[in-house]
Amino acid sequence: MLANSYYLIAHDDRTGRSRLHPRATGIGLAAGLLGELMLFGRLRAMTGELFIVSQEPPGDSLSHTLLDLLIAQPQHKEIRTWLAYLSQDAADQVGERLLRAGVVEPVTRRKLLSAQTTYMPVTPDQRNAAAWESIRLAEALGRRRSMNLTDRVLTALIVATGLTRYVFFSPQQQRDCMQNMPGIMNSLPDDLVQLVQYTEAAVGSALAAGRR
Amino acid sequence: MARTALTGPDIVTRGLAGNRLGVPSVVFFGVAGAAPLTVILGSIPTIYAVVGNTAVPLVYFVAALILSLFTVGFVAMSRHIVNSGAFYSYISHGLGRVIGVAAAFIALPAYAAMQIGLFGLFGVVASGIMETAAGVKVSWFPCALVAWLLVAVLGTLWVDLSGKVLAVLLTVEILIVLIYDAVMLAHPFHGHVDLAPLAPAQLLTPEVAAMLVLAISGFVGFEATVVLSEEAKDPKKTIGRATHWAVLLPGLLCGVSAWAMAVSAGSANIVQSSKDNTTDLVFQLAGPYVPTALVDIGYVLLLTSVFAALLAFHTAVTRYQFALGRERVLPRLWGVAHPRTGAPLAGSITQSVLALGVLVVYYLTKTDPLVHLFAWLTVAGGLGVLILMWATSLAVVGFFVRRRRKENVWRARIAPLLAFLLLTAVLGATIIGLGELLQVDAGSPFNWLFTTVYAVCATFGVGYALIMRGARPDVYAGIGRGTEGFVVPESVFGRPAHLHKVTADVAHHA
Repeated sequence: MLANSYYLIAHDDRTGRSRLHPRATGIGLAAGLLGELMLFGRLRAMTGELFIVSQEPPGDSLSHTLLDLLIAQPQHKEIRTWLAYLSQDAADQVGERLLRAGVVEPVTRRKLLSAQTTYMPVTPDQRNAAAWESIRLAEALGRRRSMNLTDRVLTALIVATGLTRYVFFSPQQQRDCMQNMPGIMNSLPDDLVQLVQYTEAAVGSALAAGRR
Repeated sequence: MARTALTGPDIVTRGLAGNRLGVPSVVFFGVAGAAPLTVILGSIPTIYAVVGNTAVPLVYFVAALILSLFTVGFVAMSRHIVNSGAFYSYISHGLGRVIGVAAAFIALPAYAAMQIGLFGLFGVVASGIMETAAGVKVSWFPCALVAWLLVAVLGTLWVDLSGKVLAVLLTVEILIVLIYDAVMLAHPFHGHVDLAPLAPAQLLTPEVAAMLVLAISGFVGFEATVVLSEEAKDPKKTIGRATHWAVLLPGLLCGVSAWAMAVSAGSANIVQSSKDNTTDLVFQLAGPYVPTALVDIGYVLLLTSVFAALLAFHTAVTRYQFALGRERVLPRLWGVAHPRTGAPLAGSITQSVLALGVLVVYYLTKTDPLVHLFAWLTVAGGLGVLILMWATSLAVVGFFVRRRRKENVWRARIAPLLAFLLLTAVLGATIIGLGELLQVDAGSPFNWLFTTVYAVCATFGVGYALIMRGARPDVYAGIGRGTEGFVVPESVFGRPAHLHKVTADVAHHA
């Protein structure tokens, strides 16, 4: 699952903190959720707007909920709008989905006045599985192994949101990644290309505004 | 699934609006840059002293009028282009990308100069407070240095004073200004309230146009409101209303305060007492009639106000460099934000280093921080911003000349044209009268130096844009579209950006 992998890469596996600005992570996860619907063949993008091509419920409950929302709100079509809307609670939504799948555990931290629940891998198995997400991408890219469509979209979203250095640690790997990017983007369907581009733009805007 | 016809905003709209800014937050954001207390306590006495004309109150009202006229078209245009940029993106939409890049190269030094100039005011005010409050004699330089350090650190952390802090500070500032004004008006010179400073006939004196640039530089920052259009509850209404408020509020406040000062000191004496007391003028005039605590609070608030303005301008410069970096007009490094905090580091550090350099030079050459650092750099920056506003007003005219885009005749035609004509007059008079504003002799190079620097910057920008058009056409195509419009920076993502609504609009005007 695209958003699951993105979540595990975007959060520190020891502290559970978001590696990016929380707004950027939210946008990346929102893009992951929309990307899943595209990969499932339910959603398409044209000139910056989303179109539903099939109303058949996808197997995953979160995707199903999102598709229902998209169907119920046909007046909102723009990718920008949906990225902004979904980014608000995407981290919780995807975190809970990971919890249901047994990939993470809820960890509640008490701060001075509030308690905050984050979802993070706790057991050794969970942490191995989480770390594998980024290692898998770095391996595939480094050994020039062919990647499946989901991993290619994931790589593009990682670069677009600024997570590159958490997946590709060495400068050499990062250079390789940048060299491979045009090829990866060319191999993506048009809908996903647009999704990635809008994600990058949305992250830029969110950071430029500088609000928490 | 049956969907009932909804009245009012749907779940998505509401969900988005919950996290977004309403009119007051946007106004505070805009007015914070203008920092009314800084203008009232710092700039107004300076204008009285430098120009020696009593039309100051009137000039503020006129400046507010001109700018709100300008705002009509500016906000109307902001509804049709979506980006987080500033004046230069409007200019590149309305007048083409070549002029847009030229404008960007004027904007960078202009905003930078205004910010650095404020360090001078901060240093002087802080050293004054240290002397009266603690009895310690500190020169302006260490004080300015402390402010510099704070701004540099907060800038790299991308800490913008939060809306609530700003709102509280501004409300208290405005309140205290109103109290001072009331006190000054209640104790007029020789016992009668003098209406002479408000006589419209004074507008016919030759200095007025030159004073307008000083007044307009007191409003700088109001244009920052459109930066938040992405963050506003309703980009169409919120930003329009907030921008008008951000112009009218400081305009009225400054005008009334300037009048109150003239009434309290007497129209005949105001110029001389401004020269004698500079930033202490208001405290000298109102001080005898208010509790000492209120004067002390006034001093502290002046300090926080200048600091808020320093931070706001620092952020503005950084944001400008970030936007230009993302569009690859500046090197790529300037468009990179810190992944975790989102701080545009390169821009922030550049501005801090520049400011430190200027401060050190002023310190080593023992140049006066109030006149030559604060007043001169603010005037120089104000001139640059005025050039930008002038070009933007022309851009608005140009933007709507081709298509009116469902805006009415007033917004799309009359107001922009009037604003352009008025700003042309002000700009012309400013360029001619700049020497007088800086108080230099007729033979001094400073009569034309700043204007020439801007002209050189603009020419450089034009040349740079033309080179870009030839060498990097894909990058050139993205100029002025802001972070949102220019979807793919550099060719990391292979394919060219898709034409969507925003870009289609731009392409239409290319």
